[in-house]
Amino acid sequence: MSRAAVIRFPGSNCEFETARALKNSGLNARIYNWNDIELLSDNRADAYVLPGGFSFQDRIRAGVVASRESIMDLIFEEAVNGKPILGICNGAQVLLESGLVPGWKPGSVQGALAGNLAPGRSGYLSGWINLKPASEAIERCPWLCAMSGEPIPVPFAHAEGRFVFRKEDTESVKSHIGLTYCEVDGSAPDGYPANPNGSALDVAALMNVDGNVLAMMPHPERSFYLWQVPPDLKGPWGDMRRNSSLKGLEDQPGPGAIIFKSLAKYLGGNNG
Amino acid sequence: MSRIPGREELKKEISSRSLAMTVEEAEKLAGYVDRMPTPLEFHLFDTMWSEHCSYKSSKPVLRTLPTDSPGVVIGPGEDAGIVSFCHQNGREWDLVVAHESHNHPSQVLPVEGAATGVGGIVRDVYCMGARVTGSMDLLRFGDPEGVKGETTRGIVRGVVEGIWKYGNALGVPNMGGDTEFHPGYDDNCLVNVVAFGIVPHDRIVHSFVPEEAHKEPYVLILTGKPTDDTGFGGATFASEDLDGEQGMGSVQVADPFLKRVLSEANQAVLDMLFEKGVKFGFKDLGAGGIACVTSELAAHGGLGIDVDLDAVPVSIENLSPEVIACSETQERYGLAVPAFVADDVLALYNERFELPRLFPHCRAAVIGRFNSKPVYNVICRGKNVAETPVNYITEGVVYQREECPVDSGAPEPAERPCDPSKDLIRILTSISGCSRKHIWSFYDSEVQGVTRLRPGEADSCVSVPVEGSRAGLAVSGDGNPWYGELDPFLGGAHAVGEAVRNVVATGATPICATDCLNFGNPEDPKAFWQFKQAVAGIADACCALGFSGGDYPLPIVSGNVSFYNQSAGGKAIPPSPIVAVFGKIHDHRKATDIVLRKAGNLILLIGTRKDELGGSLFYRTCLGHCGGTVPAFRSSLEKRMADWVLGVIHDKRAHSVHDISGGGLAIAGAEMALSSERFGIEFSLDSNPVTLFSETPGYLVEVDPRFIEDVTLPEFVSVAGRVCDGCSVSGNGWSVDLESLRKEWSDKLASVIWREEGV
Repeated sequence: MSRAAVIRFPGSNCEFETARALKNSGLNARIYNWNDIELLSDNRADAYVLPGGFSFQDRIRAGVVASRESIMDLIFEEAVNGKPILGICNGAQVLLESGLVPGWKPGSVQGALAGNLAPGRSGYLSGWINLKPASEAIERCPWLCAMSGEPIPVPFAHAEGRFVFRKEDTESVKSHIGLTYCEVDGSAPDGYPANPNGSALDVAALMNVDGNVLAMMPHPERSFYLWQVPPDLKGPWGDMRRNSSLKGLEDQPGPGAIIFKSLAKYLGGNNG
Repeated sequence: MSRIPGREELKKEISSRSLAMTVEEAEKLAGYVDRMPTPLEFHLFDTMWSEHCSYKSSKPVLRTLPTDSPGVVIGPGEDAGIVSFCHQNGREWDLVVAHESHNHPSQVLPVEGAATGVGGIVRDVYCMGARVTGSMDLLRFGDPEGVKGETTRGIVRGVVEGIWKYGNALGVPNMGGDTEFHPGYDDNCLVNVVAFGIVPHDRIVHSFVPEEAHKEPYVLILTGKPTDDTGFGGATFASEDLDGEQGMGSVQVADPFLKRVLSEANQAVLDMLFEKGVKFGFKDLGAGGIACVTSELAAHGGLGIDVDLDAVPVSIENLSPEVIACSETQERYGLAVPAFVADDVLALYNERFELPRLFPHCRAAVIGRFNSKPVYNVICRGKNVAETPVNYITEGVVYQREECPVDSGAPEPAERPCDPSKDLIRILTSISGCSRKHIWSFYDSEVQGVTRLRPGEADSCVSVPVEGSRAGLAVSGDGNPWYGELDPFLGGAHAVGEAVRNVVATGATPICATDCLNFGNPEDPKAFWQFKQAVAGIADACCALGFSGGDYPLPIVSGNVSFYNQSAGGKAIPPSPIVAVFGKIHDHRKATDIVLRKAGNLILLIGTRKDELGGSLFYRTCLGHCGGTVPAFRSSLEKRMADWVLGVIHDKRAHSVHDISGGGLAIAGAEMALSSERFGIEFSLDSNPVTLFSETPGYLVEVDPRFIEDVTLPEFVSVAGRVCDGCSVSGNGWSVDLESLRKEWSDKLASVIWREEGV
């Protein structure tokens, strides 16, 4: 069975449900502490996930302290080896702050996740939004390779989730887009609330150069089952959820499961 | 040489140390120690004998609450209550619940006050050995558009910020709660917090040193944030009337980051201790800090303890002994373990979880040794700073307070003009009747991945907390200040009734309840009478609404009393009994929400409408009147309605369910339509204020039209209308298009409360 390692930093808080989503996708998942470096080094995994949370209290900037932890050297090494690496929410912030994504010059920071820009409010915002994969990303990214191209609804919950880049990088960043925010029908968002934080280019998830590392702000592990979908959600997933409620079909996969299924598919293919 | 000080000397000590204790209490303390008490002893007993810790006014009344039911594992008395929840793979899992107030701190420092409110209540659940799987906030604020509107709006924004900053970072899903506005809270907001979690039955931890400590050496380990001077005198502060901005220094400073790391470290320590098979005690540090945790762990285990304050990790030098011992620095726990495992415990905290690296001066340390001589002995810099027989510390004090009935005497309005469409719009766009979504949007309700129904989707939030089990947990907290004001007994009864209905409406069977009783000064006979009435109402309702079979009540397993909710001017809050009810649904896939499913379905009305609109949203919003006749609490009907609704849900015949409470039937219908977007309701009932807006308890249930052919409806059930296409609600001679109202309904709260932030 392929092995996935979930890396817990001090202040991570989504490690358990992330490990559960990996396990229930047919992977052998295990949580490692930030200081389990030797243990992990001796037991390399086939894929790595940096879960959500508030690592190191978001001191200085979200993700920056964790990105300097020694265990990130190992993650760097594995990224270069081409191993699939996913950062969710705070994990995505760590990946940006470590320079792994977009990773033009590994180790130097070339993008940031800035404070949300939403009309008339500041701070934390949670809700459900729709995501659509970039078509090249389906081919290049092990975390998206099972996606059909149809939009999926997934929850988000963050105060700093707005991707920002230097002006001169705007063109080159386009080939790194993994997922963008979209309207329920898949069309480009007409600003807020479909793009919930003012993210540049409507980016919700960004890849590195090789596509094996993905920094994703929304939480696929929280929409792993159909029963996690809100009953008042618009669109086909909402309809499915509403129609299933008297039929007991709700153990079915939810929209976010496809991220973990993609990994299972990718590793299954690689490992024969 | 012993010398008992005189009254005058004691009075001087009380005033120079800003103690809350009476001279009589100080005399009692001096008698205990047979000399002038040390500063530490003064502060320790001031905390232990404060209303907040000792329940000295409320204890005799609280004993009248029903607490016994077959599922109860631990009733009131420890840090949290515990009831049996489900079985999974041959293991029994229990539900741990706690409920308290953080009212005074939130009024003076809203962000910090509300944050430490969450921080304190989750510790009560963690220290029973549980993982915390949810929290809930029951908030009461003044009138945001009234004379103190600006202050109130700032408090609301601050409280919401404190809750999200703490709860989201800690990783505990917010399971909603409720928010009410009433001018009676202008000078005293209420921030009641509920936390709950799950623990395997064989891993419940108690908050006293175990019996084994009589035979082998046990030590006390203090872990968590280094001690500072924050929150010194917090319990005393909570036990006095609020006077302006006084007491700011008594508010603690929260750190959810450290708490998150500590929670995982604690779990690793408990795992290790269970694996080794040693017995231990575990308790969080709350009111009274180190002094209380050390003395209580010892006293409840029948032992004495020597505490060495020089061993306490501190973040500020040269703190006085009483500050080290009694400050309420947050994020700390005390652990009573056999001496031989102490090094292993310290290694987990300090090396495995690297506490010293994560936070300056933070580490776990041995600070005390238990012994069989029943004396509470504290040493600081080589000197004895407290030496008291340990049993006196936990003995407590009790007062019989006087009571004096209050007759609200409020009249009903002389006339009740009603224009259903206009009135419905008025209510839905009022601050009391509008959506609470803006508040919830700051909260993380989905962390941990266990949330099945979020705030607003159903009458209560539902989660699926035990991995591998389908058992669903429904939670709701309620309490209507207008009912409490007009009739505190009914205020208490309906707080239980509404929370029960909210849980039942999702298909869950109520299994236990908690209460937080918020009142004015108990030394005022009128306030004390209100308190007693509300408790009697809660007790009556709980006795009527037991779901465990036989005559068993719905047990109250934990709770809190908050007195002195009044300003220095003597204006007390409306009597505010607030009740949380916890329910279980065997298979969460059957849980029902309020989203209408299909045009053509029937809407059944459960509970015949009565002319009892006192305190109703209709009176207040449309007539500018409070009225006098609060809905009666019909205990046996309430139970029969709940049983019937649960039956329909369990038979998978209910497509959606919503309880009828604030705003009455018309508002309940409108809320169902607003959440489904595509559908509405056509009511086929009379268009009078009683039918549409009376808050007589009840439910609306959406069923297939064939349902009424298959099932004989009981006398309290009738057909009220049907589901139609389009988001609207209508009746005989009136109709409201809700789609055009949606924006105002959902944005109203933000536009009023967050106006200073440019919304």
